[in-house]
Amino acid sequence: MPKSATDTRHFIIAGVLVAISTVVMDILLKALLPMPVQGSAQAQIIDQLAGWHLTLIAFLFSLVIVIMLYSLFVFRKRDGDESEGVHFEGNTTLEIAWTVIPLIVVFVFAFFGIRALTSITKAAPNEVVVNVTGFQWAWSFEYPGTGIVSPELVLPVDQLARMDMTARDVIHSFWIPEMRVKQDLVPGMTTTIRFTPVIAGEYNLSCAELCGRSHYSMIAPVRIVDQAEYEQWLADQSARVAPAPAAEAAPAVAQTDESAQSAAQTN
Amino acid sequence: MTLWSLGLVRGLVGQVVGFVTGMLLVMAARLALGMDPVWSQEPALVGGIVLGAISFLIGVGALSDWFKWMRGIPTPLHHGPPPGQPSWTRYFSVDYNHKVIGIQYGVTSLIVLGIGGLFAVIFRTELARSGFQFLDPASYNTYFSMHGWAALASILIGIGAMANYLVPLMLGAEDMAFPRLNAFAFWVNVPGITTLLLSLNYGWDGGWTVYPPLSIIGPVGFQFTFYAIFFIGLSSILGSVNLIATILLMRPPGMSLFRMPIFCWAVLATSIIQLTATQLIGQAFLMLSFQRLLGMGFFDPAKGGTPILFQHLFWFYSHPAVYVFVLPGLGIISELLPVFSRKPLFGYRWVALSSIAIALVGFLVWGHHMFTSGYVEYLRVPFMVSTLFVAIPTGVKFFSWLGTMWGGKLTFPTPMLFVLGAISVFLIGGLSGPILATTATDLFLHDTYFVVGHFHATIFGGFIFPFFAAIYFWYPKITGRMYDETLGKVHFWLMTPAFWVMSIGQMSVGVMGMRRRIADYDPALGVEFGHVLITIAAFTIAFSVLLMIYNLLTSAEVGRVAGDNPWRSRSPE
Repeated sequence: MPKSATDTRHFIIAGVLVAISTVVMDILLKALLPMPVQGSAQAQIIDQLAGWHLTLIAFLFSLVIVIMLYSLFVFRKRDGDESEGVHFEGNTTLEIAWTVIPLIVVFVFAFFGIRALTSITKAAPNEVVVNVTGFQWAWSFEYPGTGIVSPELVLPVDQLARMDMTARDVIHSFWIPEMRVKQDLVPGMTTTIRFTPVIAGEYNLSCAELCGRSHYSMIAPVRIVDQAEYEQWLADQSARVAPAPAAEAAPAVAQTDESAQSAAQTN
Repeated sequence: MTLWSLGLVRGLVGQVVGFVTGMLLVMAARLALGMDPVWSQEPALVGGIVLGAISFLIGVGALSDWFKWMRGIPTPLHHGPPPGQPSWTRYFSVDYNHKVIGIQYGVTSLIVLGIGGLFAVIFRTELARSGFQFLDPASYNTYFSMHGWAALASILIGIGAMANYLVPLMLGAEDMAFPRLNAFAFWVNVPGITTLLLSLNYGWDGGWTVYPPLSIIGPVGFQFTFYAIFFIGLSSILGSVNLIATILLMRPPGMSLFRMPIFCWAVLATSIIQLTATQLIGQAFLMLSFQRLLGMGFFDPAKGGTPILFQHLFWFYSHPAVYVFVLPGLGIISELLPVFSRKPLFGYRWVALSSIAIALVGFLVWGHHMFTSGYVEYLRVPFMVSTLFVAIPTGVKFFSWLGTMWGGKLTFPTPMLFVLGAISVFLIGGLSGPILATTATDLFLHDTYFVVGHFHATIFGGFIFPFFAAIYFWYPKITGRMYDETLGKVHFWLMTPAFWVMSIGQMSVGVMGMRRRIADYDPALGVEFGHVLITIAAFTIAFSVLLMIYNLLTSAEVGRVAGDNPWRSRSPE
């Protein structure tokens, strides 16, 4: 082992160990943090960005831990040695380097972070719009212009969907893990979330913002279906609404919701 | 000596008397106003809470000297134990010595930490299996909410312990700048804690964030929480005034700011945040209380308010508060690492200024807790960038620590082990930060267990591990005896790996879809095994902390006598 703390051999050995550890940690991290199915176009963008973050984490973790462990083994006090370590108060060049290089990395990650944010929130002219209402402790989905109010969310695959959302009592949050994105529902205002489902199937929408006693069970079924099936579903639902005059059907639903709310408040 | 001579006993009796009087006063006011019925639970209880706390402070004697001044009675500062009393009674009464106050803070912190930990273990056990075992959803929600504020209260009090005990010693000052204020700032915590514990009787299910409207329509236990945190926050503000004055004005001649022990820099940075940001949460919690009590519609959309305003006020304190929690701990790491590396701290000035930088940048990042809240969308961008900047001064600290160890002569007694454990754990917390700061990825991770894992790693690495390191390190200074080294090492080797498992486990189940704050989860998520591991790890941590308490209690009697400088430290205390 080289004796001097500034011997180049120390740095070469530590550097190689950091490189090996980075590769191992990168694989390990991605195994320990398994993302759900990529159910939306936005999920692909988010997962790619998350992947870069995890690689950076693997590198920085290795950098600190390997150098720390290396010091613990190589620079530990030997038996009988009561002398002091090298008196070394600092190095301004190094300090500037480890301020400036992270600054550059921050700017790079901020740039890609902003770009990802812009692309996952982008609007499109032919969005499928659904009005979402959250209340203690359930969801309701209204398809504007059709009179349909449904307890399950049905959306066509491969088409940008926009949820215009509000909450009736307390704050809730809209989250389908497979779609990745999340947005709070706030009483007294309308918030919006967009995502493009890409895989047909059944999912769960759950409330991600603590909303009282049964927060854990505020879950609604979500079905992503192909375009034909979606239109069929819309037609079926409309047919169910249509026979009774729309004016009657809507208040009936509203009433149930209100009674749910007043029941919630008495709790 | 009688029981009555203990300030704590007088204070608690005072609190009970004050509580009843407060309720009666509210009823009298309602009677005078012709309100029917005269008994109304919530106003009466709030009257009781407020008057109870004031009566506690009068009873314990925290206000006695000020009363004497008003009557023109001189109040010379008394040194040593009260006349005619055994010396241990000092710790249960108002005492102006900073070391006594430091110990009072420290013991209180450990007790409250135990309470917070107990709540964690209770609901953690419930989570080990899906379905409901022994808690119902309402009590589950109350328990994790209590865990949050009890643990944070213990941290704030623990910081008071380290700062009060160490700063005057490190500066060579005789005491703190304002000893009476110092005692008051400690004692106001006690009614805060009793009030918080009383909230259990009524329940509250808002989490530590108590967002309205949930905290408005929830049970009356919320009122207890609001005032409890108000009292503990008052302690923060008064304590930080005192620390800033002490650090700026009471240094010995020749000790410039850049010659202070590095821990004092950390305390200075922390105190700046505590002094300026704590007002916001105090104000916000009073606004919640008034909205409930008096119908003021601050956060009520029907009355022109908005729930989002509360989130801004809350996080304007509560984000910088995270740096309040971790900066002193990072200061402890920077203080102890050189002692056990037999080398000076690498880049002292950079480490000192990085604390100030973290404190200042910390004021500009609160909005990263609100990426999904529904505030104006473009705000997500500046808050993302400002948050990423925090990585830079934090990186300076890590690299400087590595520079300190490199080429040293390292030894590994218990305090050093906890310092190294702190670095490893804080690294996990720190590195999991940028992915949350980046809006796009946060939209996925927000309100999941990934966040829970992230901040527990940050808080354990930034406070709990360094706090334990400090306790072991200064134990011989406090008691004159050494703790049991073997038990200390067992504590470390149980707690550290268990903590790694816990926080990485939390992040893992979070990514798999486990939401925060849910009393039950869907086994289809595949997270049950993760929860079993996390629960086992939590029990291991709890057990290891009990070992430490046992070690501290027994070694005070039987430990070997420590010399003047058992660690061969260069620091002036």
